[in-house]
Amino acid sequence: MTAFDLGGLFRAAGVTGRLHALDIDSGTEVGFGSDEPVPTASVFKLPLLVEVGRQADAGRLDPAERVTVSPADRVFGPTGISAMRDEVTISLRDLAYLMIAVSDNSSADALVAKVGLDAVNAMLAGFGLVQTRVTQDCRQILATMREDTGGESSVTDPDMIARLRVLDPALANRSTPRETARLLGMIWRDEAAGAESCAWMRGLLGLQVWPHRLASGFPYDDVSVSGKTGTLPTLRAEAGVVEYPDGGRYAVAVFTRSFSTAMNQPRADAVIGTAARMAVDHLRSLPDV
Amino acid sequence: MDLVRHLYYFTVVAEERHFGNAAIRLGMAQPPLSQRIKRLEQELGVRLFDRSSRQVRLTEAGLLLLGEAREIVARVDRLKELVRHGATGALRAGVPPDLGAAVIAALVAGFRETNPDVRLTFSELWTADQVGALAEGTIDVGIVRHPVTAPGVYFGETLVQTPGVLLPENDPLAAGSAVHLADLAGRELLLFPRDGEPGLYAETVTECRRHGFVPAEIHHGITLGLVVAGSAVALGAPVGMPGVRWRPLLGSPLAWRASTAWRVPTPEVTGFAEVAARILRENAGMTEEGMAPARRVRPRPATGFLT
Repeated sequence: MTAFDLGGLFRAAGVTGRLHALDIDSGTEVGFGSDEPVPTASVFKLPLLVEVGRQADAGRLDPAERVTVSPADRVFGPTGISAMRDEVTISLRDLAYLMIAVSDNSSADALVAKVGLDAVNAMLAGFGLVQTRVTQDCRQILATMREDTGGESSVTDPDMIARLRVLDPALANRSTPRETARLLGMIWRDEAAGAESCAWMRGLLGLQVWPHRLASGFPYDDVSVSGKTGTLPTLRAEAGVVEYPDGGRYAVAVFTRSFSTAMNQPRADAVIGTAARMAVDHLRSLPDV
Repeated sequence: MDLVRHLYYFTVVAEERHFGNAAIRLGMAQPPLSQRIKRLEQELGVRLFDRSSRQVRLTEAGLLLLGEAREIVARVDRLKELVRHGATGALRAGVPPDLGAAVIAALVAGFRETNPDVRLTFSELWTADQVGALAEGTIDVGIVRHPVTAPGVYFGETLVQTPGVLLPENDPLAAGSAVHLADLAGRELLLFPRDGEPGLYAETVTECRRHGFVPAEIHHGITLGLVVAGSAVALGAPVGMPGVRWRPLLGSPLAWRASTAWRVPTPEVTGFAEVAARILRENAGMTEEGMAPARRVRPRPATGFLT
């Protein structure tokens, strides 16, 4: 039960939305469809990052190890190594940086090849995050999209979008707003991995470049916003942490689906920030228990 | 010659390091001031100032005498105050006009408890006017806002108030639990008068700008009519007034410092300063200095330079 009208807010922006917000230190939560399964799109890079940190802690991988990504290894994407033309030799931790900062798909798949999706899912199960599963890397996600669309890369046909398997939580990488927010809370409380690795992950998430979603709700020099976006046709998501100057820390996960199939919808991007702001404000106005 | 008066001139020139400025502060012309310093030097048989350089500098002997001279001037002041007070049994206090009736009532009650025989009177004066009134002796003690420069005035413990924002009740921002200064961008601000609070006014406006609030216009005053009318917001402590909503400022970006101030520490003045420090904590929501959080800018890649 929420005391504020998140449904109306999402509707006015032309989307349906699911949200979960969590006060990282007190554990107080507020949500709107918190436990509904959602396809994660690029938000799956968040649990992947956690597993990279944990395997580094365990000595199973060396973050400084350099790997070579050849043009043949590259997967489609508008940023990072995916957008480059030549062979790249780069350390695992710098791949993680590109995967988080600009959501680089090729970097994500190079890391999946290193840690394995089974290990990611075992980690999630170990944390009790049973609704969150990563079954596909970027190459597989893009391959099923190609099959469903017949090779079209920018899909705006509503009938075609309705058939996309990557948007079906039963078939795609999935989570719930609550579980995604919980995983973020664990990174911020040093529980997802060793303290040093958690600090490293927080640093990377703070370097994410997109200002139009979660960060747009908190346009203040003394508030920090860290996060990871996710985007697929009609799907816009961001999960991140907002830190206030008085020390308050809030993990927020917002997943939206737009009614319109247009690719450019600034209001649909911005409502992620507005809804998060409303939820954080609600958490902050609750009396201390 | 009036040795005490000459010593007072000497302390003022020593503080200003400039005959012209000292003369302005003393409200006299520069030539007679220079003559009087010369007479004092003849009387004492030493040179007090080195006038060879462009700036007036104290000589070794001048430095040696300065502390004593201040002591003598203060003691003679105190002597006169004591005589005056022994006769009247009154303490004249200056308070900021926006201090609020409840705080003044608490001050009166608190002071009456500890000093039942002294009659307490108040003048509502802004900091700049209180400093003048202290120098002229028309008030004995005051409550001033910092930063303030006032030679010869002594200050009690510095206390800090973190103001919130007073919004018209129909302002959309009143729906939230707290307001960031940047949310106020473009609104008009009602603030205490610049002439009365020059130091705090400048500090507040600078801090507002730094946090993203550049007021479209600044109105000077304390009555909240413009806020009730919906045409401005104000900064300050919570008030229970119809049509006005108070919200805290996110991150407590503003820290308004205040303290008691006096020139001559009579027992009544010291007593008042103690009571005032307690009342400002208990009734005006002030805390010790250093409680306000330091501001940290949290850079984001999208706001970085050269991107």
